[in-house]
Amino acid sequence: MEIAIAAETITHIGPLPLTNTLLLSWIVIILLSVVAFIVSRQIKMIPNRLQNIFELIIEVSYGLTEDIAGFRAKVFFPFIMTFFLFIITGNWLGLLPGFGTIGFWEGSGSKATFVPLLRSIDSDLNTTLALALISAIATHFFAIKYLGLGSYLKRWVSRNPIYMFVGILEIVSEFTKIISLSFRLFGNIFAGEVVLATIAGIFAFVVPLPFYFLEIVVGFVQAAVFMMLTLTFMAMLSEKHSGSE
Amino acid sequence: MDILQSFGVKPILLLAQAVNFFILLVILKKFLYKPVLKVLDERRRKITESLKNADEIEKRLEQIGEDREKKLQEAARDAEEIIREATQTAGVIVAQAHEKAAADAEKIIEKSRQSLELEREKLHQEVRSELADLVVAGLEKVIGKTLTEKYKKETVEKSLHEIG
Repeated sequence: MEIAIAAETITHIGPLPLTNTLLLSWIVIILLSVVAFIVSRQIKMIPNRLQNIFELIIEVSYGLTEDIAGFRAKVFFPFIMTFFLFIITGNWLGLLPGFGTIGFWEGSGSKATFVPLLRSIDSDLNTTLALALISAIATHFFAIKYLGLGSYLKRWVSRNPIYMFVGILEIVSEFTKIISLSFRLFGNIFAGEVVLATIAGIFAFVVPLPFYFLEIVVGFVQAAVFMMLTLTFMAMLSEKHSGSE
Repeated sequence: MDILQSFGVKPILLLAQAVNFFILLVILKKFLYKPVLKVLDERRRKITESLKNADEIEKRLEQIGEDREKKLQEAARDAEEIIREATQTAGVIVAQAHEKAAADAEKIIEKSRQSLELEREKLHQEVRSELADLVVAGLEKVIGKTLTEKYKKETVEKSLHEIG
């Protein structure tokens, strides 16, 4: 069984190639929106079970954001929380039966390739890179918002040769942040898919179960890691910097 | 960029995922974060308020209990005072009544004694005058003639005096 690194294209909508991961992103968005809508419709002071679950998630995350970002929590929070919910929903949905197995054959004869209809959103670098870019752009946007443009630029550019060198390193590190964020998430989830497919290829009954359990944990951990890193980057960059003054 | 190509990265797909993320962000912010955070805040406020209220209620209850205790004690003390006073007054009244009764009795006795005395005196006088008449009559009989008025009187006085 072979798994392509690139997401498979199901069909084309105008200029947009509809890949299986993009399809799943849409499903994730619809699912989360519907749940959010249900929660907001029946929100009460005395919560029901669904509201309780989301209150728990949001309260814990908001507390974390407040601990790290202080007064900026209100602005950072929607980004942080959406990263987490989007990634974890995508990861866990990708573990459901049918993912990677239901699909169709494209081409003919020995050149035919299997195209699964659904694939975990984060096993496509497009998704993770998009998320990492948004994280980076939002981080810098908030830094300018809270520090002002002049103070923001001082971090990267300085006439002092030592700080100039540090500034260059910092600029490089900003790009490595994007790469590490996107490839960490992609690598973990993609590797998980490969492992699951391989194990299922060896013996499909019972044996993959521990790996499924592992992937559930990995799906949560990766979502949490992405969220926490974005949060710390945002908090760090929009903090008053004393080093280069 | 060859690497990105082999990973299947296409600008349009990147853009699509970015747009997806922002759509989700906006929807979740409006329908999930804001209402839930609001309700959490509200609940926290309400709990704080309720706890404060509970404290106040407890304090007030305690105060009410204390007040009641104090009032009860006061009432008991008052009652005791009233009873004591009443007992005292009753004693005084009884004593007064006793005194008055005694005085009345005394007076009545005195009066009756006086009237008795008077009666006796009257009786006495009557008896005496009758006796005098008798004496005079006896003397007249013995002597055989009428006595002069002056002698009569003198003798009677004398004999009556002797009788006592």
